[in-house]
Amino acid sequence: MSTDSSGHAGDRTLSIDADEPVGSDAVRLLALGCVLVLTGAYVSVLYDITRVVGGSQSLLALVGVMLLAATGLARTIRPRTAGVLALVGAGVGFAYYLTSAGVELGVVFTAADALLSDTVALATGLPILRMVQAGVWTLGFAPAPVFLSWYLALRGRYELGVVPGGIALGFLVLTGDAGTLVTLAGTLAAVGAVAFGELERRGGSIAQADLLAVLFAVIVALSLSVTIVPGDPSGPTHLVQGEAGSLEATIDSSPQRSGISGQVDLSPEVRFTVESDQRSYWRTGVYDRFTGDEWVRTGQSSRYNGRLASPPGNYETVQQTVTAETELGIMPVAPQPLSLGGDVTRETSVSRHGQPRPETPLEPGESYTVESAKIDADPAALRAAGTNYPEEVTDRHLQTPEDTSSEFRERTAEITAEADTPYEKAAAIESHLRSSKDYSLEVTQPAGNVAEGFLLEMDKGYCVYFATTMTQMLREEGVPARYVTGYTSGQQVDDDEYVVRGLDAHSWVEVYFPDHGWVRFDPTPGGSRDDVHTDRLEEARANGNEAADTEDSEDVPIDEDDGESPASDPNEPIGSPSDPNEDNGTDPGTDPNNGTEPDDPDNGTAPPDDPGDRIDGTTSDETSLSEHLVGIVRETGAIGLIALVGLAAGARRTGAATRLRRGVGVYWHGFRAEPDQDAERAFRRLERLLAREYRPRRGSESARAYLTALSAAETEAESATPLDPRVEQVLESYERAVYGDGVSRAAADEAIEIVDDLARSRLPILGRLR
Amino acid sequence: MTDANPTPERSAEPTDDGEPLRVSTVERLCADIEANVSRVIVGHDDVIEHVITAVLGRGHVLLDDVPGVGKTMLARSIAKSVDCTFSRVQFTPDLLPSDVTGVNVFNQKTREFEFQSGPVFGNIVLGDEINRAPPKTQSSLLEAMEEGQVTTDGTTRELPTPFIVIATQNAVEPNRTYDLPFAEVDRFMKKLHLGYPDPDEEAELLGRTVGDHPIESLEAVTDRETLVAARETVSTVQVAEPVREYATRLVADTRENAHIGVSPRGTISLLRAAQARAVTNGRDYAIPDDIRAEAPVVMGHRIKTTGHDRDGTAVVEDALEHVPVE
Repeated sequence: MSTDSSGHAGDRTLSIDADEPVGSDAVRLLALGCVLVLTGAYVSVLYDITRVVGGSQSLLALVGVMLLAATGLARTIRPRTAGVLALVGAGVGFAYYLTSAGVELGVVFTAADALLSDTVALATGLPILRMVQAGVWTLGFAPAPVFLSWYLALRGRYELGVVPGGIALGFLVLTGDAGTLVTLAGTLAAVGAVAFGELERRGGSIAQADLLAVLFAVIVALSLSVTIVPGDPSGPTHLVQGEAGSLEATIDSSPQRSGISGQVDLSPEVRFTVESDQRSYWRTGVYDRFTGDEWVRTGQSSRYNGRLASPPGNYETVQQTVTAETELGIMPVAPQPLSLGGDVTRETSVSRHGQPRPETPLEPGESYTVESAKIDADPAALRAAGTNYPEEVTDRHLQTPEDTSSEFRERTAEITAEADTPYEKAAAIESHLRSSKDYSLEVTQPAGNVAEGFLLEMDKGYCVYFATTMTQMLREEGVPARYVTGYTSGQQVDDDEYVVRGLDAHSWVEVYFPDHGWVRFDPTPGGSRDDVHTDRLEEARANGNEAADTEDSEDVPIDEDDGESPASDPNEPIGSPSDPNEDNGTDPGTDPNNGTEPDDPDNGTAPPDDPGDRIDGTTSDETSLSEHLVGIVRETGAIGLIALVGLAAGARRTGAATRLRRGVGVYWHGFRAEPDQDAERAFRRLERLLAREYRPRRGSESARAYLTALSAAETEAESATPLDPRVEQVLESYERAVYGDGVSRAAADEAIEIVDDLARSRLPILGRLR
Repeated sequence: MTDANPTPERSAEPTDDGEPLRVSTVERLCADIEANVSRVIVGHDDVIEHVITAVLGRGHVLLDDVPGVGKTMLARSIAKSVDCTFSRVQFTPDLLPSDVTGVNVFNQKTREFEFQSGPVFGNIVLGDEINRAPPKTQSSLLEAMEEGQVTTDGTTRELPTPFIVIATQNAVEPNRTYDLPFAEVDRFMKKLHLGYPDPDEEAELLGRTVGDHPIESLEAVTDRETLVAARETVSTVQVAEPVREYATRLVADTRENAHIGVSPRGTISLLRAAQARAVTNGRDYAIPDDIRAEAPVVMGHRIKTTGHDRDGTAVVEDALEHVPVE
């Protein structure tokens, strides 16, 4: 989020440190630079948003035009006119946003309260990325502050100029979009702009800027120790009682986003049970916007009103009853839910994608019923579905990050070269991913775009990687697709009963077909996934983890091979719509997690919190440590730089640097130069050494007189350490070098050696050891 | 009254005889002279050294002291040590310039005027109680010091090399003296004070003078030619920029803090004295310490202070105290 601005920040702080005597011109440039950095800070936030949703070129162009306009108008119009202009600009931008969001302009006045509540929602931590028309919003938002702040800065009104920029940045901070570093850079730039502006006005010089650098360092230190920025997305609110680092915790970290991480764990604990006459995946979340390293759900949720949108085509209905076994912040349903039943539905919100979610977590034992639509679609029908997508589907489900590489695009085109219809494309991508990548939970998250990294570089991953990559590939091909999280059907313990555990957490892809609706595809290779998950369950059972089973499930064996692990089925090379509705236990690719085999349910000797809860604790720690290190380097580097500059400035103020240099210089001669210089330097070191021990040399005292005086004084006071007779030699070399015709290399080296020796013998600790 | 010991045949000799000597040789030479002189002069080692450096630095010395502390003896023993001709002029109120420089005398036999050279024609000339003679007579000597030659009746005659004037000045009876004009004092490189010897030294002095006076048995430790060569050596001693700057700083300081400060001639003298001092310490380059050692005696008498509580030497000491060396 912060590449741009941190770069700016670096430039600025470095230039503060420059020591050349400069007039008010340079101060003015610095002040203007600070305003630019402030502008850069919030524009970079907006730019990051547009990079995800598109329109970054327009944004940059818009900002550039605004800067030019402000420069041009700076001398021609009065501030009042500029203020009006900016207000008008903001109004036009806002209106533009509303229009493209499909809101009639007239509504603005009638639905002022709704607008107000939107604004409040944004200001209380709703990330801009969740807005449906985030790109348009940024384009509407940017011009006014950019124009106004630059206009005012050019007119020398720095303290006024930082106000619009500060407001813009502050708003982005409140939405939680501005990261710490950007905020910090922006704040420092604002402080810098005002300070340099003041320096310019009062004719100060650049030399006084070191005080400013100290201030910056203080600000950095304070802001690092006291954090009041809300909406920090790094603190996941776990909707499931999974421990951090588990697959569930990653994909269900918050209601609006689904993260992608490196290595994850599987929890063997039972989450819920489902009574259903048909096997299905249990969906808990639907996401449409991909930022490159996480999925975001756009749009607001609304309270469940008794009915959910039904698919456009033919469908059968399926009834389920879901009972929570642990506290549950999610509401698993078989796609596509049509209606809900039970008490909890009174406090259920539904996303724009038709996915319900409880407003308060379900208690263990609470249950609800779901009626789902089982889309009636066979491959032939899907092949014939065409591409006549509704606009609301293409609007939101074709998004790819703007910086997606052409390599990814080309690779995708290669893979789908043979496919003509969207269905064939999906099938081709699905089978390609299944066959070319291995299943593994132990992976390191690639830097940058995860989908790109997985397709082009990685050779193994887990469902999140598979599903993300497939979604993105489909979108590149113009096929609307979305990323879905949830659980696989779980362990079947009875004809119509399924036990779903944490380790069943899964993510997959839904692809839209006109006249049919959203159809499930699962690119994750089923077989190896089963193995991993079964091993995990067996391990948990072996360790006596009681939460790993319900009363019903503990006697049921983990059926490792019931011929129903279709994901790994090579007989279906063209892939398959893994629609549960046509699944009678034979659908390939549907259910990687069929029966189980409880080989030893009651080996209850080991404590439940056994280290076996993690798949591989050691590797996990190591990986996370290295990831952590990589993750903090850039931010920490920038902050450290500011702190360092502050320290340096402070040191300069207090003269500490000079003292340090002298202090070190006593013990280390430094690199050899000309013999004469070396001899002189050797004597300077000796002088400092003696100054520490006896007294410093007076300005009017010649070198020789100084040493003579010292040895005379020391003869008088016998207690003092005798002056080493070799100092005479150093003195002579020095005199010869400075006043005579120079010293030889050997003489200079000898002088250095003597001083080195004397310095060593006077080292606080080492000297005593000798 | 003139007590001259003229050696006209030597005075005609060319000046530049002898290559410069090695610094170490000159150093040893100085030490020898000093040791030799010390056999006659008890104590006053620093004054002896100053006189020697003045001799090497082509300067003249003004000894300002009460009578009977050994001024004449110092001059004589130095002259004897270096095997030079020594002449002495006792300045009295009725002394005429020609008594110093010499006169043309009509020779009855040759029917021609012959120049009868005065006492100034000596290598080392002791001008005793110079402030007792009237200014006209004083100036005859001082001109000789400055020019290195004497002009009488239109004829210019070169003075011998080396030509060193050691003048003494009586500090007592000020109402019967003619103070040396300030401009003329400036021609002396150094003004030295002997002062009374310590009781111990005086006792030793008495012991030495029992029997033959040691000056009678004093022998030369070097000859005139070597002395000239040594002076050559001194003039080649390097005075580096920092040292020159230090000297200038000191001089500038005296000009700021006194009515009349040290003249440029004084600065030149200071550097020459420092050169000589460097050589006596075995160096072929001068260091600030040389300047510092010479500054009080070289600069002190060239400074005119406004008040009476503070003489020139005090001004120099002040300067040495606060002018930065580097």
